[in-house]
Amino acid sequence: MTCDEVRDKMPDVAAGLIAATGEESKHLASCDACAGKLAEFRQTMALLDEWQAPEPSPYFDVCLQARLREEMAKPQAGWLQWFRRPVLAAALTVLMGVGIGLFFNHGRGRYNSGPNQAMADNFGPVEPGTAVSDLQALEKNHELYADFELLDDLQVQDDVTANP
Amino acid sequence: MDRGVLMAPAGSPPAGGFSAAMAGLEAFSDAEVMVRVKAGDQSAFDYLVQKYRRPLVGFMYRMARNAAAAEDLAQEVFLRVYRARETYEPSAKFATWLYRIATNLAVNHARDTRHERAEVTVSLDEPDEETGTTFELPDGGLTAEQALVRRERLLAIRGKVEALPERQRLAVIMHKYQQMGYKQIAEVLKLSESATKSLLFRAYETLREQLKEFI
Ligand SMILES: [Zn+2]
Repeated sequence: MTCDEVRDKMPDVAAGLIAATGEESKHLASCDACAGKLAEFRQTMALLDEWQAPEPSPYFDVCLQARLREEMAKPQAGWLQWFRRPVLAAALTVLMGVGIGLFFNHGRGRYNSGPNQAMADNFGPVEPGTAVSDLQALEKNHELYADFELLDDLQVQDDVTANP
Repeated sequence: MDRGVLMAPAGSPPAGGFSAAMAGLEAFSDAEVMVRVKAGDQSAFDYLVQKYRRPLVGFMYRMARNAAAAEDLAQEVFLRVYRARETYEPSAKFATWLYRIATNLAVNHARDTRHERAEVTVSLDEPDEETGTTFELPDGGLTAEQALVRRERLLAIRGKVEALPERQRLAVIMHKYQQMGYKQIAEVLKLSESATKSLLFRAYETLREQLKEFI
């Protein structure tokens, strides 16, 4: 077993992710350089242990649930969203109602409010598995994958210029 | 058993919270559980939240250095997982996929708030807002001076990890604090295993060198 082979695993061993194998332990017992190196790694790890992270707050779950419900209630992306926003849908209905009302008023002076509800009912929720919902899923994935591309660009020069 | 917490109509109170996530999913891999989420099983999603919220908050805390932002970002990760559930393919390890989403968010957050962060000055006389109680409750038996020394050391650790180049910092946080191996870190960062290894070696060397007065 060479020094390089042993050193390769030192961060994992020092961090407690793996235990040194029998052969590695044997090498460490007989090689002061490697043993010293491992001790250094362990000291660094022990120091880093002091930086503790807080537990999630008691509000974490409640807050996440609220955001998820909001997410589910949110209009889906795409042109249909305009019809799914309650205020807009109501406004649209009123506008149509007024228009139709005016039309009927103009003609016969009656039916000012009748067709409104029927109009509003035409815009129901999107059925899953339809072309519309598929498009919406695609749009959302685009958002996710665009982010991944960003991640791929992680500054390489950082690593090149820092601690040479 | 009614576990439709997340499907509850808006306005109704949450029934049980994520902690009540259905038992029995431990027998499945996370990828298998995610496939159930994809199929519309809300309790499967609750289970994943329950399992990963603590590590994710910890990860985000060390990336964002701010407890409130960390929670917000961790929640955003879960929202993105939920949004992407229909296209999830169990080919990749679930945790790798999760940390890729988390890493991306953390990196963007760090870039967006770079200026704010540069202006944060830490006064040793004031309670630390970013860590909550960490500094305010020194271990029993510490004198005021020892507590101050300890706090200074902690600030140095935090500062030096934060000062690492982005990918080294990510690698150290995943390796040291998330207990992830070379292979998984390599997959999250889309690097070769050997590149990840040398990234980690350089990072630990730098940290050791810069923190040697505390060792
Ligand atoms: Zn050796």
